[in-house]
Amino acid sequence: MAVEVVMPKLGMSMKEGTVSVWNKQAGDPVKKGELIASINSEKIEMELESPADGTILDIVVPEGEGVPPGTVICYIGDANESISKIERNVETAQTEVAATATATKVKESQPSVQTAAKEKIKISPVARKMAEAANLDIRTIQGTGPGGRITKEDVQKAIANSSSVESPSTKEQKPAETITHNIEPTKKVPVAGMRKIIAERMQGSLQNSAQLTLNMKVDVTDWIALQKQLTETAQTHYETKLTVTDFVARAVVLSLQQHKEMNSAYINDQIHLFDSIHLGMAVALDKGLVVPVIRNAENQSLIQLAQNIKSLAKRARQGQLSHEEMKGSTFTISNLGAYGIEHFTPILNPPEAGILGVGATYDTPVYIGDKLERRTILPLSLTFDHRVLDGAPAAAFLRTLKQYLEEPFTVLL
Amino acid sequence: MTTLAIIGGGPAGYVAAITAAQQGQQVILIEQGPLGGTCLNEGCMPTKSLLESAEVYEKVRHAEDFGISLSSAQVGVNWNQVQQRKNRIVQTLVQGIGYLMKKNRIQVKNGTASFLTANRLRVENESGQEIVEADRFIIASGSEPISLPFAPFDGEWVIHSGQAMSLPSIPSSLLIIGGGVIGCEFASIYSRLGTKVTIVEMAEQLLPGEDEDIASILQEQLEKDGVTIYTSTSLKDLNADKKKAIIENQEGIRELSADYVLVSIGRKPRTANLGLEDIGIEFSKRGIAVNEQMQTNIPHIYACGDVIGGIQLAHVAFHEGTIAALHSGGQEVKVNYRAIPRCIYTSPEIAGVGLTEKQAREQYGDIRVGEFPFTANGKALILNEPIGKVKVIVEPQYHEIVGVSIVGPRATELIGQGTVMLHAEMTVDIMEDLVEAHPTLSEAIHEALLSAVGHAVHV
Repeated sequence: MAVEVVMPKLGMSMKEGTVSVWNKQAGDPVKKGELIASINSEKIEMELESPADGTILDIVVPEGEGVPPGTVICYIGDANESISKIERNVETAQTEVAATATATKVKESQPSVQTAAKEKIKISPVARKMAEAANLDIRTIQGTGPGGRITKEDVQKAIANSSSVESPSTKEQKPAETITHNIEPTKKVPVAGMRKIIAERMQGSLQNSAQLTLNMKVDVTDWIALQKQLTETAQTHYETKLTVTDFVARAVVLSLQQHKEMNSAYINDQIHLFDSIHLGMAVALDKGLVVPVIRNAENQSLIQLAQNIKSLAKRARQGQLSHEEMKGSTFTISNLGAYGIEHFTPILNPPEAGILGVGATYDTPVYIGDKLERRTILPLSLTFDHRVLDGAPAAAFLRTLKQYLEEPFTVLL
Repeated sequence: MTTLAIIGGGPAGYVAAITAAQQGQQVILIEQGPLGGTCLNEGCMPTKSLLESAEVYEKVRHAEDFGISLSSAQVGVNWNQVQQRKNRIVQTLVQGIGYLMKKNRIQVKNGTASFLTANRLRVENESGQEIVEADRFIIASGSEPISLPFAPFDGEWVIHSGQAMSLPSIPSSLLIIGGGVIGCEFASIYSRLGTKVTIVEMAEQLLPGEDEDIASILQEQLEKDGVTIYTSTSLKDLNADKKKAIIENQEGIRELSADYVLVSIGRKPRTANLGLEDIGIEFSKRGIAVNEQMQTNIPHIYACGDVIGGIQLAHVAFHEGTIAALHSGGQEVKVNYRAIPRCIYTSPEIAGVGLTEKQAREQYGDIRVGEFPFTANGKALILNEPIGKVKVIVEPQYHEIVGVSIVGPRATELIGQGTVMLHAEMTVDIMEDLVEAHPTLSEAIHEALLSAVGHAVHV
């Protein structure tokens, strides 16, 4: 008898899942427990195990198509079983699948923040879905229901209005549109799973805060010299390398302790200030960006920080991070130095008020007194939320950071 | 302070009066009969009182099913006492409205009203007439049963629903013309009291507004209770002298006789003698024409309730009356017909809210329908009423719940959950995680929702 394999429900709030990769094709034999597909939801990526021995009779949901949990995605049965019989003789294997499958990757650093933002706006369930489908920002919709609740009718009106507003500009854009349409893409990638979350969060970050970036050059010549001396000791005693990132991380922690307004978040029209420093460290993966968090970085020495940063980054690359390890950061560091980037404009990791971009060091002649010297310069870019603090205090934070980095012993002590 | 004059003290009128008074308007209410209108005096309340008596009788007659022995008791219906009970309930409720009028300082005038100009009314009663002037008016004059042109109501043999609830004795036979809500309710009452009931309906099914599968469950049950039902059948003649009715359908012409003929073919707005044409009030096909604020074409004159046609239900009248009163007091409001429950107090009861399956298919195409039978519900079995089902309708795009229909025990109470779902614009994924108490009839609603998404548990 054929078995239905359904899209598992990975958590109560999951609305849609996507098969990112089918490991099997129709007609392929499978063993119970064998990984047949990778499943992608908003928050989680997981491998799906076959619930039974048999043959993949039919794949119903192709790669990249989002379907609600409970939807049949493929059938497994005897190779000679005809598919028309399946519909009547299925055994739903949903619970089995959910139980045996192992969630391997967890994404999204701060779901709590997103929920909070959602709760603030009164909107009916179907109105929310309609707005999401139409890509409408619900904060721009005027609610006419009880207590200003946004109803289905309000969304319908907003959709009608937005399309009527767009119509003249659509006309102007026509040539451009035609050009885009003339070029047939070689591949269309559905924006789903991790990509979708990153897209939404980054766009949300830019839309919902007043961010700007300050750039500063820091002379790390003394640090480089010190690093050379420390490397061997660190390697032999602690089995870790000391990198610029580690050093910057420690200096950031020290600077944040002096500038608490920088270790903060803008949540529901309130500025939240934190004593604890939970450092988010942006790590680039093939599939996208993740931000593992070093909790209570203020209690860690340079060596401890270095060890934790490396272990988190390693586990991020192996996809072993838990959901807990990717949430609750209060300040984030992003390093593009490895690519030769100097200054850039990092995007805030909402609801945090600050993110530091670390660039690539370079050597350049610098006047020290009257003499030109060869010095090593590290470009830093600080993006901050102007709603939380003004330019002067943000600049003061950067200056403190510069002082620490230029006097490396202060960081060690 | 503005003065508001309201014509009619039924559900639309008295609720409008109280609302307006609470908003600080000076209110005059004109009513020609007792307060409470059709609902209290000739509709909802008295019929439900009779239904409950019939229900108790039915339960007692089936007491043995529950293991209760009644061998020594004489079981019967005391029609006089049934009537007295009904009248007492009506009287209590009418007095209650009178009390509410006093409490809210609403001036109640007994008499008939007609417009002299768009700002003046003439109110007449036995003791004379007077002129009432006001800044705003609400017409809530209600509706009356439609009569057959060839057989007007005579109260002796051809009767309307108001008369059918106060018959001097339980008739031995009753012919009902029209198998709509009112006809079916009276069929349910009298068939259980022992009357030989016959229904003649022109449409293909009873309750033409509801889905066929829902109506057919009622039809089966009525037939079990001894009701003869002719659908797709038209009435050719009523001969009051011979007390004979002639009906015709595909099988031919047939002659029927009965103690009474209840004509329940609908209700029409009561608009005569109000002077509406004189002041230029406009009408739609259904009744007085109004906008979403209940304003007529003359903006300071509102109309609400049965007199505007549309959905002729007391709770719709309450809502419309409230909207008219609030808007006349300067508030920006509009009427909302999105989630209006429909209740039919038959045995089994029928209730619905939102779209029927047929309407939903026309509007959305490929809908999802979830059903759950009461035969699989433990509480229905305990009540000895494992009849009927719950049906929920989910639209395909956003999975909004757009309709709930229930036929079965306590359907008219259960529909409240459906009303909440539709009012809140719920989507089925949110309702999936709902926890219903056990053992209750409500579980059937959740199961129907689960069935709509493909995983009901108890079937």
